[in-house]
Amino acid sequence: MNESPRTFYWIALSLVGVVIAIYILFPIFWLFLASFKTQAELAQLPISFWPQTPTLDAYKALFSPTHQKGQLLDWPRLIGNSFFIAITSTVLVVFFGTLAGYAFARLKFPGRDLILGGLLISRMFQGAALLLPTYRLMNMIGLQDSLIGLVLLYSAFGLPFATWIIASSLREIPRELEESAMMDGATRIQSMVMVVLPLATPALITAAMWHFVGAWSEFAFASILLESNDNKTVTIGLASFVELFTLEFQYVGAAAAIVALPIMLVFFFGQRYFTRGLLAGAVKG
Amino acid sequence: MGSVALRNIRKSYGAVEVLHGIDLDISDGEFTVLVGPSGCGKSTLLRSIAGLETISGGEIVLDGTVINRLQPKERNIAMVFQNYALYPHMDVAKNMAFSLRLAKESKDEIARKVNAAAEILDLVPLLERFPRQLSGGQRQRVAMGRAIVRDPEVFLFDEPLSNLDAKLRVQMRAEIKELHQRLKTTTIYVTHDQIEAMTMADKIVVMRGGHVEQIGSPLDLYDHPANVFVAGFIGSPAMNFLPAKASAEGLRTASGVILGSAGTQLKDGHDVIAGFRPEDLRLADTGIPAKIVVIEPTGAETEMVLRTPDGTVTLTTRDRIPHAPGDQVHLSIVPGKMHCFDAATEVALGQVGGAS
Repeated sequence: MNESPRTFYWIALSLVGVVIAIYILFPIFWLFLASFKTQAELAQLPISFWPQTPTLDAYKALFSPTHQKGQLLDWPRLIGNSFFIAITSTVLVVFFGTLAGYAFARLKFPGRDLILGGLLISRMFQGAALLLPTYRLMNMIGLQDSLIGLVLLYSAFGLPFATWIIASSLREIPRELEESAMMDGATRIQSMVMVVLPLATPALITAAMWHFVGAWSEFAFASILLESNDNKTVTIGLASFVELFTLEFQYVGAAAAIVALPIMLVFFFGQRYFTRGLLAGAVKG
Repeated sequence: MGSVALRNIRKSYGAVEVLHGIDLDISDGEFTVLVGPSGCGKSTLLRSIAGLETISGGEIVLDGTVINRLQPKERNIAMVFQNYALYPHMDVAKNMAFSLRLAKESKDEIARKVNAAAEILDLVPLLERFPRQLSGGQRQRVAMGRAIVRDPEVFLFDEPLSNLDAKLRVQMRAEIKELHQRLKTTTIYVTHDQIEAMTMADKIVVMRGGHVEQIGSPLDLYDHPANVFVAGFIGSPAMNFLPAKASAEGLRTASGVILGSAGTQLKDGHDVIAGFRPEDLRLADTGIPAKIVVIEPTGAETEMVLRTPDGTVTLTTRDRIPHAPGDQVHLSIVPGKMHCFDAATEVALGQVGGAS
């Protein structure tokens, strides 16, 4: 019988997967549970697992200015800033990444492969090594403590990878499709917009997701470049809890849940694009 | 009107010249097939006519107008690609309407033209399907539909059948030919398959290594190949070739066998390549001695591979063969069916009479 070893194998693998998932997810889940607990419950022993008196007080506190105390920041504003930075730089990165990716995939120019390789190398730089030079640079051009400055910075960091993803996916799209569009009367730009880009949608979404998540959760550069409270982002907000004399864990939990939400949504809705074989049937392999 | 003239077309990639001055005249409504082994430049030539490749020299003339410098979209030429190149994100109707949409034709006009083309190609029930939901033959027809709706001066086909299985290929071959007879649009068709060329073409252009080897009607090329390459390329199974020398008794092989009488134009001792088609070779009581290597009956015909002292030859016959592999037999060439090529230049020296 072939079946039982295979079933056993399947169960064993699943168990390993479950254990790894719990190992990774439990701290996050624990934090999430904490956001529904009261300060008193968090302090009591023995530790309770489920919130005994579930409450949304922590969330309410984050969103109501009257509850702000100490260094607790204006969370609606932080969220707005983070969205502005993440969305604007994602749009920039995808737009320019598409143009550059198309050029790398389709046009012939000297040094093309070298430059494309160079783009990947730029990804291997440790961001921390660039902290100080970047700070000096942004100071010099007067873009410190500016959301626009951060948008430009994140775009510069994100563009190589987005270009790489998009270029590789455009290379997979048969050239004949474009040639066919040109025979049908399309200009190069028309053939790109009407034929190539719809087929590259999964890659564009992948690039956008990667960049959005990175920009949304970036901390190091935001923390050194943004100074005024009005300009801070959610990641700085999260870190600021630690600086309080008393760590109010329910606020950390609530804030972390809010920060994680957009990322979870992005993956939830973006996932299916990875598996959709949009190219099926275009050409016979 | 869709007459095409190519004048001394050259194309180089860097220092490598792949088309060495192609001259070709195609009259309106003609079905011309460019055929040759891979790498002969036939696809490059086709793509140059389409405007997808820029040529390095020469002129492409469509209806008296030089179109070298025009963009593909300005040439009024439609092309069917080897892998069909259907737009995967558009259904069949949208695929066919794409060029009309770009030309900003009215909705009614687009619908009328798409439906007319769909009628011709039996695509009406498939209009709302996507390319991935179609079979190979259906995709092929959509690709042709896309070309038809534009009512172009010239159709270009780049090996359109090579992705289909053998049976479908024969069927689509007939469909394309029928379509051409119906629309009478000038067609230039590229293939490496000489049978496609023979069966479909009004005019065949045999190419090799960036040169045109011979231009002519299918039977013209079959009966009067200009050189060894064309003789060997056109026809299946291929023509037999044996090296020989002209002599008083006829063409004599190295082993001393007389293949047939030499023509008057040959001097004694002239080195030639004797060519004869498998169907012009007969089993005989005397003549070229040969040993049967393989017998391949196909039903209608039987193909035999035989070993002579001077090389291996193929014979086809409609008769039943009373022999087995290993048997010793004799062969003769049907009189008047021998081709004679100069051994050095491989150029045809004209047909000479075969005998005994």
